[in-house]
Amino acid sequence: MSETTSKAQTQADAQTGQQSGGTTVEGETQEELREEWVQYEFDGQPAISTRDVNVHYGDDHALHDISIDIPKNSVTALIGPSGCGKSTFLRCLNRMNDRIKAADVSGEVEFNGKNIYDKGTNLVELRKRIGQVFQSPNPFPKSIRKNISYGPRKHGDIDVSLLSRLLGRDDSDEEDELVERCLRQAALWDEVKDRLDDNALGLSGGQQQRLCIARALATDPEVLLMDEPASALDPIATSRIEDLISDLAEDYTVVIVTHSMQQAARISDQTAVFLTGGYLVEYDDTDKIFENPESQRVEDYITGKFG
Amino acid sequence: MSDAYDRNLVESESSTYQRLAASIVGVGILAFAFALAALFDLTAIDATFVGLSLSNLLGVGTTLVGLGVVGLGAVSYVGYVETTPDRSAGLVPAVLFGLLWFCVAGLVVSQTFGFGALVWLPAALLVGAGAAGVAIFPREDIGSTLPAGAFALLVGLVFLTNVIGPDWAWSPTDFSATFTPKIVVPFLTVLAVLVASWAAGKAYDDFGARGRQTGAYMLIALNALGILSVLVILVAFVVSKGIGPLFEGFSVGASGIDWPFVQNGNQLTNDVNGVFPAIVGTFWLVVGSVIMAVPLAVGAAVFLTEYAEEGRFTQVVELATNGLWSTPSIVFGLFGYAFLVPRLGNSTSLLSGIFVLGFMLIPLVLITSREAINAVPDEYRDASAALGVSQWQTIKSVVVPAAMPGVITGVILGVGRIAGETAPILLVMSGSPFPSKRQAPNVLDISFSFTSSFPFVDASLISQEALLNSASALPYQLYAIITAGVGQSEAFGWGTTLVLLLVVLSFYAVGIASRAYFRNKLRS
Ligand SMILES: Nc1ncnc2c1ncn2[C@@H]1O[C@H](COP(=O)(O)OP(=O)(O)O)[C@@H](O)[C@H]1O
Ligand SMILES: [Mg+2]
Repeated sequence: MSETTSKAQTQADAQTGQQSGGTTVEGETQEELREEWVQYEFDGQPAISTRDVNVHYGDDHALHDISIDIPKNSVTALIGPSGCGKSTFLRCLNRMNDRIKAADVSGEVEFNGKNIYDKGTNLVELRKRIGQVFQSPNPFPKSIRKNISYGPRKHGDIDVSLLSRLLGRDDSDEEDELVERCLRQAALWDEVKDRLDDNALGLSGGQQQRLCIARALATDPEVLLMDEPASALDPIATSRIEDLISDLAEDYTVVIVTHSMQQAARISDQTAVFLTGGYLVEYDDTDKIFENPESQRVEDYITGKFG
Repeated sequence: MSDAYDRNLVESESSTYQRLAASIVGVGILAFAFALAALFDLTAIDATFVGLSLSNLLGVGTTLVGLGVVGLGAVSYVGYVETTPDRSAGLVPAVLFGLLWFCVAGLVVSQTFGFGALVWLPAALLVGAGAAGVAIFPREDIGSTLPAGAFALLVGLVFLTNVIGPDWAWSPTDFSATFTPKIVVPFLTVLAVLVASWAAGKAYDDFGARGRQTGAYMLIALNALGILSVLVILVAFVVSKGIGPLFEGFSVGASGIDWPFVQNGNQLTNDVNGVFPAIVGTFWLVVGSVIMAVPLAVGAAVFLTEYAEEGRFTQVVELATNGLWSTPSIVFGLFGYAFLVPRLGNSTSLLSGIFVLGFMLIPLVLITSREAINAVPDEYRDASAALGVSQWQTIKSVVVPAAMPGVITGVILGVGRIAGETAPILLVMSGSPFPSKRQAPNVLDISFSFTSSFPFVDASLISQEALLNSASALPYQLYAIITAGVGQSEAFGWGTTLVLLLVVLSFYAVGIASRAYFRNKLRS
């Protein structure tokens, strides 16, 4: 049996919910995917629900039929070995995949009752409501203040242009308030309050990453997507970011990709496990995933047997 | 003898050894400096110092250096000092020494003794192979010093014995040029010093890996020194020739500064004629072409990097810009002459000059801006897009500011080229090379008044007349004086040269200052 047919078989099984258990394909244990492993029941509204999301990069089928509901005001962790499509999935949620020419996304992503892949979706509004923090800190080479007010300024929510200042109707006060609020939320205020006009590149890596979080908060989002936000940081900076994420979950929906299982276990409420090839294998309460996963492969991955 | 005594002895000896190596390099640098001075006419080759002609003096220097280098090798070889040479000097020195000695032997046998190719070729090959062999087979301390020291020694002896002296001249057969000692003596000295300092540098740090590092450093440092001194001498030469005419009639009085060479034009009634119209012409020419070219080039660069798909089209554009950049300026000039001049008032004009130089500037600014914009990290664009900011706003407020220092570098380089451009100006812009002060282009003509007829205001910012009339420029004036011998004395030409140099340098200064400003904004 060739690999493609075995994959097709797997998919067909997953779609019909057929339960065929483990089978052996050419001497190698191939576990079937089961629909109930990825069905996660929770109270309240989902912030985002995806339906059969598939992503192709050219001929490379990077994500297969991902359908999950992400609960509001909680931390959802996406874990899995590298190359399994976590970042790709995350980028589907705010349509950052649009920026990658080779990427072709199909399926539905429902946010606030609307499919964001519908024609006529306002990308500006979408990305204001779903902010993103990247793997390595990427502040603009501008002052700390300007980094934070960048989004609102460009959206016209805050006007501190020369003209408006000359006319005496600028929003400098609003800007100051915004900068302070976001920096406080990102637990950075005390460290930088005396040097708001210094260049952001002068901050340490951990401070830069918290600045990027503050910058994302400045557009007043509902959801924050984070792609391995602590992977470029030292342990102390990492733990500060983790504390921050737990605090943010009170007001925001956080979806975080991480390669560190400890991190996922520490900070997330529910965890989705992706495995090689772009399959979502299991999605459940974090405690359940880490203590008693249904899938043998997930258990192997979590206990470090592969991945 | 105790161990401690041994070690002390070795240590003190090895530092004497180092001092010896250093002083050899020192003598070499001295000879190097004199050679450069002779090359640039700062002193004559037959001038005498302490009773010796300069060539003899250089002979003494290079002989000392050569002896010293050979000595350094020998002392190390017999084990008088403790060094760490490798088994062989290596292939690269062997090839270099082989080539060097091949040339030496070939020239001596063919030119000094007058033998034909049948004799000199085998002889030269033999000597070259011998030198290469010396570099390869013995230990490194001999291999890297002997061929180098021997060369310096040979050069020194040739100078000392006046075989090549102040009265020597060499006109090779089948070759129309005559080599005079003025060129040959400095050249040989510099070559000998370079080779010998390389060897002395190696000896200074006891050969081996550390020695090679020092040797290479020596070579590079001397090289840099040479280039720098050429630059300094060039500028000093221009300054020394030009400073007299530049400050002729200069006075600071109660009525302010009176600086005729800079403030005057050309008139029969002037005591001292000056280059004011040409300065103004060059200034407006450069400013105008920068104002015209930079927005176009940066706009095109933004389009090509941010919007256009990589493909056939961008490749063609790249080819075209590179081609335009390497197009000779006279071609641009001719285009301006045949195309622009008839369309812009049918006479040579400042505006045509601005257009032509602007066209010349566009390719370079475009190329460097593209590089600079490409070098802006994609992370900035991602961060901005993730905040929902549109592509155009991202370009405006993140990408272009981050690329600004690179763009300005391109402008600086381009201005360096166009400010000294003569050929296109000759064709499209110039009228009289030495206009009077009244003929200086007065481009800014700011006026504002109310009139009785429609549109009831009469405002002007830029004078059409100034743009559409011919103007002079500094390089064009220079050309007229030096090549065509028109109108003015040579001294006036040197004064113009110095002013041109200063004008270009001040454009550089403005460019560098603004680049520093933008860099600072990005980093600080
Ligand atoms: N820009 C891209 N172009 C083409 N293929 C890509 C691109 N980004 C990711 N991929 C492919 O998609 C798969 C999933 O990648 P990614 O989502 O980055 O995985 P993860 O974040 O889990 O490490 C990989 O096989 C990768 O090669
Ligand atoms: Mg990733």
